[in-house]
Amino acid sequence: MTKTGVFLCNCYGEIGKVIDLESIRKRLEADPAVDFVSVRESLCMPGDAAEARALVCGRGIGKVLLGACSPYGRMEMVRLALAKEGVDVRTVRAVDLREGCAWVHGKDPAGATRKAANQLDMELAFLQNMRDSKDVAVRIQQGALVIGAGPAGLSAACGLARLGFPVHLIDRGTSPGGLLNMVTRVYPSDVPGPEKLAALVAETRSNPLIRFYGKTKVASVRGYAGDFKVALAGPEGKTTLRVGAVVLATGARLLFPQGLYGYGKLKGVITQMEMERQFAAGKPACQSAVFIQCVGARNAERPYCSTICCPLSLKNAMRIVDEIPGAKATVLHRDIMTPGSVLEAYYRKALRMGVQFIRFDADRPPEARGDGQVSAVDVFDAINGTTRTIETDLLVLSTPLVADPESAALARMLEIPVDRHGFIAEVYPVHPVETRNDGVFICGTARWPVSSDQAVAQGEAAAVKAASFLGRQTVPALSMSRVPGTKLGHAEADASACTGCGNCVAVCPYSACKLQRTGNRSVSRVIKVRCKACGSCASVCPNGAMQIPEQNYRVTGEMIRRAFREVP
Amino acid sequence: MTADAKNVNILVFACRWCGLIGADTAGRRRMELPASFRVIPVECAGYVEPDAVIRAYASGAAGVAVLGCHIGGCRFNDANHPALKRLELLKTLLDTTGIGGNRLLLGFGTAHEYHQWADTIRAFHEHVAGLPSMASWLPAKQ
Repeated sequence: MTKTGVFLCNCYGEIGKVIDLESIRKRLEADPAVDFVSVRESLCMPGDAAEARALVCGRGIGKVLLGACSPYGRMEMVRLALAKEGVDVRTVRAVDLREGCAWVHGKDPAGATRKAANQLDMELAFLQNMRDSKDVAVRIQQGALVIGAGPAGLSAACGLARLGFPVHLIDRGTSPGGLLNMVTRVYPSDVPGPEKLAALVAETRSNPLIRFYGKTKVASVRGYAGDFKVALAGPEGKTTLRVGAVVLATGARLLFPQGLYGYGKLKGVITQMEMERQFAAGKPACQSAVFIQCVGARNAERPYCSTICCPLSLKNAMRIVDEIPGAKATVLHRDIMTPGSVLEAYYRKALRMGVQFIRFDADRPPEARGDGQVSAVDVFDAINGTTRTIETDLLVLSTPLVADPESAALARMLEIPVDRHGFIAEVYPVHPVETRNDGVFICGTARWPVSSDQAVAQGEAAAVKAASFLGRQTVPALSMSRVPGTKLGHAEADASACTGCGNCVAVCPYSACKLQRTGNRSVSRVIKVRCKACGSCASVCPNGAMQIPEQNYRVTGEMIRRAFREVP
Repeated sequence: MTADAKNVNILVFACRWCGLIGADTAGRRRMELPASFRVIPVECAGYVEPDAVIRAYASGAAGVAVLGCHIGGCRFNDANHPALKRLELLKTLLDTTGIGGNRLLLGFGTAHEYHQWADTIRAFHEHVAGLPSMASWLPAKQ
């Protein structure tokens, strides 16, 4: 058994004036698991730190216990300095005698000393009983799969190809472009949709690293970060790929407003997409157009703001006023959402051009009137409190972006969660293009409604995130922790003790536990790359088959036993 | 010796990403706390198995606290949510056996809520001190 070297720090008296370090030293020296106890004045200062390092390295001690200040502060520096000398950082444990004992129990020196002795005992038990997670290196497949060739997918694919990674870009349509293919002008730059993406589409053709698969869908995905085995179903039958990362850019679709404001019953009541089609075919034949915002959005069922509909209506209203001589455009809104300097200027421009804005209450929505053809809209003006009637021959309904059901199916395949609206959930709050499954990245409206500009930016972000992962040949599973530093370890399943009950599979927050059939029984297997060592599986395993070797049940058991041991 | 005389031993399982950081800050602010508790750092509240809680009572703890991240704010996605359910269920079991579910405390807070940490520890110490001794539950000392 490797013995443990203990360092106690006096912290210039901060610890020593409350805790009786001498009695603790004597007590620890009597412990057969302890090699030496060294009491230092200040473990974090260069002199003592160097001596401590020399002592550890000279004796060849693998395990070190630091009884000093908080493990989050300067002791982390001491740990990392020891790690530089080749000591495994996971075998260096710290007990905070200063923040955890001396400073909070300053009025009870005897109690603080007892607590310090117990806590040091407990950490000794940790070091003596811990085992080592066998690290595995994952070979990273160099290619990436980008699902969806809209603005987000295109920019992700081009970004990855520019960084030198082979990209498989698939789309369910025949050509790249996504929803923008149907848009004759894109706010706020007012260029046609296909033109906006022309450079990116040309790049997918000219860059030999990008292969585009039209009319293709994902049939199945297996594997994990670094090594996904993907089957594609397309016009040429099934294709199988091995890729290191997957970028999900499947987009969203616009809500179909069936039954709202006379849609489907009255002629002249159309959606924004139908408006785009009318513009594509020429000028819409109308003298007065009314736009209603938040149709089916910001209500109990869909409480979110779809972000794109306000600028979309501004753009189309300005086009009506601009292109049809004498035509009027009115926007009925609850709030005009135009964040940022560019969109706010866009709103000011619409005001200057004579687009009329009327605010209505969510409780008293406008009503469309007409006999076969829409003729007028009644709206209760929330600002001046009167009901106004606006003659119109075109009523445009601004519906929100809603999640594509196909994205949800893909999310299930890729083992990532969707939010309650069906959009794919990112890792909240600091990993905006990453998902619960490492190696799967998201961008664009599959994640949340965004404008095409933002979708392009997110695509680039996803490309960089994917590239920083793909850029390595092999990745040690212990480094896949999402936060700085290494993981505690990863869970290990003891196949001989496992009864295949599946508790761990149900509870694992990362879908890292899988039941695998061996012979005539099922046993649990841990995907080491996915495991983040939370220990949920270990706590629900009825047989003790699931363990995190570092903090296994012996460690916890021994720590509990020592917690209140009497200190003479 | 006041704490031990009344046997107010409290074992705290604190998650390394929230509870323990809260404890750390409380220490840095020198908030006065009773020296009756011992801390076992865990990666996640989800690590704490009901069995370990029961073993803690057998080893002389009069109260056990499991302190993790807020529900919805878990470092490991949602691992603390099933943990909460599991330990709430354990309270029922503790009530049935007579130990009493009120000897188990489940607390959720973020890393910066050091006030909450200190208040939780103080209140739980007071609470456990008011409960009858666990002596009759413990095996006789050899």
